[in-house]
Amino acid sequence: MGKGDGELLRTENLTKDFGRLRAVDHLSLRLGEGEIRGLIGPNGSGKTTLVNVITGVYRPTSGGVYFSGKRIDRLSPDDITHEGMMRTFQVARVFADMTVLENMLIPAFTQGTSRREAVHRAKGLLEFCLLGRLSDEPARNLSGGQTMLLQIVRGFMRQPLKLYLLDEPFAGVHPAIKDVMIETIQKMNREEGVTFLIVSHELTTVRRLCSCISVLHGGRVISEGTMKEVANDPRVIDSYLGG
Amino acid sequence: MKTSNDTGLRGLKWHSLALAGFLLVSLLPLWTGQYYLQVFTIAFYYVVHASSWNLLAGYTGQFSLAHHAFAAIGGYTSALLVTSFGLPIWMGVPAAFLSSALMGFILGLLCLRMRAIYLAIATWAFAESVRISISMTYQITRGDLGLAVPKFFSGAGQGVVYYYFFLGLAIVTVLMIMFVMRSKMGYYLRAIRNDEMVARVMGINTTRWKILAFMLSSGTAGIAGAFYGHYNGLLTPVMVDFNEMAFIVIMVVIGGIRSIAGPVIGAILIQILTETFREFGEVRMVVFALAVIAIARLYNEGAIGAVRQVSQWVSRRKPIGEGVR
Repeated sequence: MGKGDGELLRTENLTKDFGRLRAVDHLSLRLGEGEIRGLIGPNGSGKTTLVNVITGVYRPTSGGVYFSGKRIDRLSPDDITHEGMMRTFQVARVFADMTVLENMLIPAFTQGTSRREAVHRAKGLLEFCLLGRLSDEPARNLSGGQTMLLQIVRGFMRQPLKLYLLDEPFAGVHPAIKDVMIETIQKMNREEGVTFLIVSHELTTVRRLCSCISVLHGGRVISEGTMKEVANDPRVIDSYLGG
Repeated sequence: MKTSNDTGLRGLKWHSLALAGFLLVSLLPLWTGQYYLQVFTIAFYYVVHASSWNLLAGYTGQFSLAHHAFAAIGGYTSALLVTSFGLPIWMGVPAAFLSSALMGFILGLLCLRMRAIYLAIATWAFAESVRISISMTYQITRGDLGLAVPKFFSGAGQGVVYYYFFLGLAIVTVLMIMFVMRSKMGYYLRAIRNDEMVARVMGINTTRWKILAFMLSSGTAGIAGAFYGHYNGLLTPVMVDFNEMAFIVIMVVIGGIRSIAGPVIGAILIQILTETFREFGEVRMVVFALAVIAIARLYNEGAIGAVRQVSQWVSRRKPIGEGVR
C-alpha cells in the first residue's frame, strides 16, 4: 500500500464477465489513502472495465468492492460519487452545451454546495488550470486537450474527494496541457489529500507521478511495485511482448 | 455569471424586449375585436403547452408525444370532479394538476430507460390509449359526443376576462420554467440531456430528476387542459388527436427549442397563422411540417435564433465611437 495511514479501496476476487469473455478475473487490489497509484497493462487487460466496476457503471459478476470500509459494488454510480469517489472517461466527456463554468458547478451542486461557494471554487480551479479565460465558453468549443483538462478539474469540485479514478487522462494531450494536469494532480494530492488511481499507457508520465504501479494482464494483477520493479518483472515483460 | 441557458438575446437586452412584449399583449384587448381576442386566448393556452413540453423534450431530452394526452387527463379530471361530484372549479384545477402529474410519474417510470424513437413511440401509444379510453367510456366521459363542462365565467362579453386569465396562466408557466431552469434542477436536466451517464457520475440521481421533469411537465399540461375545458365548455377526444401534439412540436421547433422565449414566440406565431389562413385547411399543416423540416435541417435555433442573429448584426453595425463622449 501507499503512503496513507489506512486502506481506502479494496477489491476482493472481483470478476466481470461479458458473456463468455472474462474481462476482470478474480482481481484483488488494495489502495491506500493519499496514494497516487498507476494502473498499466496492455490493451484489453481489463483496466477500463475495472474502473467501470469500481465506479458502479458495471455490476461485478462476482466479488466485492469496498471503499472506506463500506461495500459499494451494489450502489449506483451517483451513490458511489456521494461516497467521495469521482472518475473521468477515456474519451473526454463533458456537458458540451453548457459553459465551462456550468460544467464545473454540477458536482458541487449535487452535494448541496451553495452557488456562491461553488462559483468561487470553480473560478479558482479554472484559473489554476489556465482555463479561467474560457469559463463562459460553451464546452463544445474547447480543444481535445482542454476538454480532457476540464473533465479532470471538474471532478475536484466535489469536496471532500477521497478517490479520483482517471482513465487515460494523458492520451493525445499536448505536452503543455499534460504538465498542467500533472501539476494539478500533485497539488490536489498534496493539499487536499486526494487519492488517485491513474490508468495510463504513458509510462513516462506514470513514472513521474506514481510511486506504486499495478500491472494488469488478462483481468488480473500480475505485478505491483515501483516502476523499476515492475519493469524488471518477467511476467510484465511477457505480457507486453505477448507472451 | 453568464449561462448558456437563456434566450440568447443579450445584445438586445431581452428583459426590455420581454417587458415590451408584456405591455403589448396586456394592452391588446383595447384595439382587438372579439375574434382575435379568442385567437390570442387559445395562443396563450398553447404557450403553456409549448413551454412545458420544451422543459421535457428540449431541456431534458425526453421526447414525449403524450403531452396533449396529459392535457386531456387534466381537463377531464377537473370536469368530472365538478360535474359528477359537485366540487368547485377552483378545486378541480389543482386536482387536474395532481392527476396529470401522477400519470406523468407512472409513464415516466415506465419509460425511464427509453430514449429517442422508443420513448416517442411508447408515449404516442399511451396518448392513443387515452384517446380511445375517453371515446369508449361513454357513460363517464360521453365519448365522442363530448362532455359539457361548467365555465369559469358565464354570460356574454367574457372574452376579455378569459384573455387575461389565459395570459396570466401563460406568464406564470413561463416564469415557473425560467425559475426551474435557473435553479439547480435546471442544471441537472441539461446535464442529463447532454450525457446521462456522466450526469450520474457527477452525482445526479437521474431517475429522480427525469421523473420529476415528466411530472412537472405533465402536471402543467393538465392545468392547461383544465383551463381549456372550463373556458370552452366542452371536452371531446379530439383534444387527444395527434394533430394537437404535432401543433405543440411545430410551435416549439419553429419558435426555437431549448430557449425560454422560443416556445412563446412559436405558439403565438403559429396560432395566429393558423387562424389567418384558416381557409387553406389542412394545407397549413403541410406548410408547417415543411417549415419544421427546413428548420431541423438548416437552422435548428428557430425564430429566436434568427432574432438573436439580427440583434448581433445590428450591434456590430454600430459605429465604434458611439456613446463615447
